[in-house]
Amino acid sequence: MHKKNQAFAHTRAFWMFVSPALILFTVFFLVPLALAIGFSFTNYDGWKTMDFVGVKNYIKLFTDGDFYATLKRTFIYAIVNLPFKVALPLLVASLVCSKYMYGKTLVRTFIYIPVLLSALVAGITINWMFGEEYGLVNFIIQSMGGTPLKWAMNAGLATTVVSVASNWVSIGFYMIMFIGGINNISPELYEAASVDGANKVNAFFKITLPLLAPTTFIVLLLSTVNLLKEYTLVQGITTGGPGTSTTYIIQYIFNQGFTQMRYGYASAIGIVVGVIFIIIAGIQFKFSNGGGEV
Amino acid sequence: MKSAAANRKVQVIGFTLLGMLTAFLMIFPVVWLLFSSFKPRAEMFAYPLKLFPSVFDFSSYKSVVDGGFFVYVKNSFFLAVVGTIITLVISSFCGYALAIYRNEIRYTNKVFAIFLLGTLIPGDILTVPQFAVISALGLYNNIWGVILPVVTTTTGIFMYRQHYMSIPLSLAESARIDGASEFKIFKDIMFPLGTSVTITLTIFSFMWRWNDYILPLMVLSDQKKYTIQIAIKTFIGTNGIDWSSILAASIISIIPIMIIFAFLQKYVVGGIAATGVKG
Repeated sequence: MHKKNQAFAHTRAFWMFVSPALILFTVFFLVPLALAIGFSFTNYDGWKTMDFVGVKNYIKLFTDGDFYATLKRTFIYAIVNLPFKVALPLLVASLVCSKYMYGKTLVRTFIYIPVLLSALVAGITINWMFGEEYGLVNFIIQSMGGTPLKWAMNAGLATTVVSVASNWVSIGFYMIMFIGGINNISPELYEAASVDGANKVNAFFKITLPLLAPTTFIVLLLSTVNLLKEYTLVQGITTGGPGTSTTYIIQYIFNQGFTQMRYGYASAIGIVVGVIFIIIAGIQFKFSNGGGEV
Repeated sequence: MKSAAANRKVQVIGFTLLGMLTAFLMIFPVVWLLFSSFKPRAEMFAYPLKLFPSVFDFSSYKSVVDGGFFVYVKNSFFLAVVGTIITLVISSFCGYALAIYRNEIRYTNKVFAIFLLGTLIPGDILTVPQFAVISALGLYNNIWGVILPVVTTTTGIFMYRQHYMSIPLSLAESARIDGASEFKIFKDIMFPLGTSVTITLTIFSFMWRWNDYILPLMVLSDQKKYTIQIAIKTFIGTNGIDWSSILAASIISIIPIMIIFAFLQKYVVGGIAATGVKG
């Protein structure tokens, strides 16, 4: 009898502890998720109209050239940036973990500081460097006899500036993850390698890189997801321009929903993009067991 | 032997210089922003560009502050402090319960799996239906409409759960024998044992809320209710950017985060290394 009472008391305590988080999560995440599916079958305009339209939004979506163009642009942006997102923090982490480097703490701190900025302010900071008339980068180009570049007018250059900003804010974060991975590698391996006559470059490719594979994989997947949902950073730089050349998929959903007032259509896009993210997350769960990090 | 020592010296100098150069390149944009914000307006847009302002001019800051910027600072502090307190309470409750009752209650893992959905699908794709919910609850143009949707963080629940999984269940058992209630065990024994997680999550949550952008942009329409980030965005107009204001405003917005980082750096770095999450 006592045992039964205790079991009841514990079940009650469990639900008391869990319910605040569970209720808020349900109201602000699970309900919107269900609503997104519901809205996607309607022509809801966020105001008065909400008629069931079947799969019309999805049919429209698959023939919407702007949607495809945006999705393609987003993927290209992600794929081109991925190597940098992984390689730069890895190189920096190897450097600041080297026993030959002095002033490690200071260097790590400086590299980490951009991570602290909000995406908007980070975008603004890099935008200020790349101003057309009075930006520092163009000033340096001119001082060296070059022609100043129209960073905001040219699609490729604008994307470059966004990419620089995106990498600038993420290097420090992924560096910390790589440092954690490097510190887990036994120093004896390097000693053994150096006894065998391996040089540093060899040791990096034969020891560091393979043993960091789990960390690298996590960084790769985190970068992919973060690149695909790039939005706020762009608002501090190009706000999606010139034209739509730096408008990525989250901004497209936002514009369709809140500028065009097509709640139903925006929800349908959200669902399709959500499925893409689930596939990526599925890959992550399948392979990350060895990494030990979530 | 002598050449080995010389070789080492070359390597030390090379690596250290490379490290310094990297650090310089990474920090420089922030330094440039800082110095630019103190330049008189004419100097900000005058060739040749100079790193240091000729005089430290506070007029940009003055005009930003006179424009009511401290109202936005206050709103952001409210969002960050209140949001963080709620996050700490509900995450520690939830993470603790998921860990401590894991042997007695069969479905703890199923409940945890529901929260993991939150990491699977980014909330950013749900902005439209989230906005519908916020409006339906009457939270449009209300700071609570910016706080309540984001306080549940799977990261926070996960951090506490992991922590309490490592604490022996016998500790709770012996407290029960002494007659302590379930809530008292949490409040007096277990919560203090989670201090390292609490500190890390406090810093992260404060930073997340301070830097929040999409939700405040959607929800807050009355300018008096704007948070810092949204106020900064108003300096980016259709006809260009009000640079002198936006530089000063950006610097003001960075200060609280920098202060926290300066004092609690090891918790920030340790938190990332342990969980691999930022937000």
